[in-house]
Amino acid sequence: MRPALGALLLALVARPAEGQLVTLGPQVVLADYREVASGLRYRGSGFGGGLWARRGRLSAEAAVARLNLDPADGSAATAGFTATQVDAWIAYDVAAYASVEVGVLHRSADPEFDAQSVGAVRVGARSFYDIGPGATVVFRANYLAAPKFSGGGRAPVSLDLGLGLDVRLAGRLRGTAIYGFTRMNRKTNPGGTGEVDAPIQESLARVGLALAF
Amino acid sequence: MSRYLGAAALLVALAVPGVAAQNATLRRAQQAYDNLEYRQVLTLARAALRERLTGPERARAYELLGFTYGAMDSILKAVDAFKQVVLIDPERQLDPNRVSPKAYSAFDVALRQVLLVRQLRVDSASFVGGQGAGGVPIRFTVTQPARVVARAIGSAGTVVIDSGAWNGQVNLRWPARLVGGDPVPAGTYTVVVDARLGQNTFSASQPIRVSHGRVDTLPTVTSLPGYQFLPETEIPPQSWRPVGLAFLYTGGALVGTLGLESSSLGSSSKRELGIVGGAALVTGFVMMLRKPAARPAQANILYNRLLRDQIARRNQDIAKENMARRQQVQVTVAPLPK
Repeated sequence: MRPALGALLLALVARPAEGQLVTLGPQVVLADYREVASGLRYRGSGFGGGLWARRGRLSAEAAVARLNLDPADGSAATAGFTATQVDAWIAYDVAAYASVEVGVLHRSADPEFDAQSVGAVRVGARSFYDIGPGATVVFRANYLAAPKFSGGGRAPVSLDLGLGLDVRLAGRLRGTAIYGFTRMNRKTNPGGTGEVDAPIQESLARVGLALAF
Repeated sequence: MSRYLGAAALLVALAVPGVAAQNATLRRAQQAYDNLEYRQVLTLARAALRERLTGPERARAYELLGFTYGAMDSILKAVDAFKQVVLIDPERQLDPNRVSPKAYSAFDVALRQVLLVRQLRVDSASFVGGQGAGGVPIRFTVTQPARVVARAIGSAGTVVIDSGAWNGQVNLRWPARLVGGDPVPAGTYTVVVDARLGQNTFSASQPIRVSHGRVDTLPTVTSLPGYQFLPETEIPPQSWRPVGLAFLYTGGALVGTLGLESSSLGSSSKRELGIVGGAALVTGFVMMLRKPAARPAQANILYNRLLRDQIARRNQDIAKENMARRQQVQVTVAPLPK
């Protein structure tokens, strides 16, 4: 999956053609992360980058972020951790304002056992609309299929939704703001004593600039 | 009575064309006519006819006799004299406004008693040879009901233009083509009109020149009359749509977030949604105030496409027409002086 996605992104970037657009730029990332219970919550920020490319009806998007998450006020957590999150999508426009998409989500924690590392496949749809010259709003909803957790367990219902804004600021310079909310109904069975809920919830905001090619 | 005769004679004198008579007897007859000495006119005109006269002089002598007999109320003799006039000069025409009614009616009766083809005219014309409704207008007058045949006689042969039993004014249109449909070859022709009534025949002719040229080709068109291309973009009117859509999308994200929040994890931070949703709303508000961008006008694009198709189709027809025209000839017919 990853090699194929990488090859596609590389092809889109390497061969710009008519009707093709590529944007690339840095992002500031804010996050709120909760796990297992309301007492275990983190807030933090970090940096990342985003790449978006379109060719005809096909588009691809990838974002990477490195976050320093610290225990929030009133959190039971005693130490923070660093998370690295990678999101990627490939979308195909099925209408003037809608597309279907597949992708991957991968988040790893460092130190490894301070939070769950997770990987999942995204399947969903997005709606996008031009609200003005060079300004587009996007709403997406993904089902996170086959999630894998570093601590084990399963999450039959895992959803991710997002809100995006892309604005042409000047010439090739664009401003982007992307919101993502992930909810994973993780269930674990520690010691074979029966399943217990260990949900994971994350809010993420990426704000950045991008250069269009 | 003599006053009327004098007035009629004056009218005739005015109507008679200025043929300068070389013959002395004829000149004296003309002088006697001018002096209203009709008996002297009859004597001198008859004497002149016994002498050696040119055609116009003979016609003039008979004309003096006709006018004089008319003035003397000898209508039958006037008619006989005018018959001689039109046999010598078939194109002779009297102006009814300038001659006496008696003389004019005698001349008219004379015309009807003689088989003539008069006033043969071939108009100039130019048309695509071998096809269509183009043709050379030919007209003439037959003075008696007769069997008439019109031909064009040239070095390459004879082409029958038309034939029929005609009387009075006849109008023909000659397409100037051979039996096979090809245009007649270029060259000089003589249009001959033969009229036959019993043993009487008469012919009139008019030389013409037929020349060939290239047929003009049609220029291609870039527009159709009455139709014009429409702008393919249009600027939509300002509306609340941008902020409405931003509100709708942000609201959707907020409702989705609230719906997905786990009760066991507590209410999530709305800082992230607030930043992005706020940016979307501000952007929508700004876009609402800005002049909207031009957008494609689909109806006009479709209309222009149809118009372009029509023009292309018309140009294809023109190209075909031009291919055909390059294989045609433009026939030009012009009458020549006799």
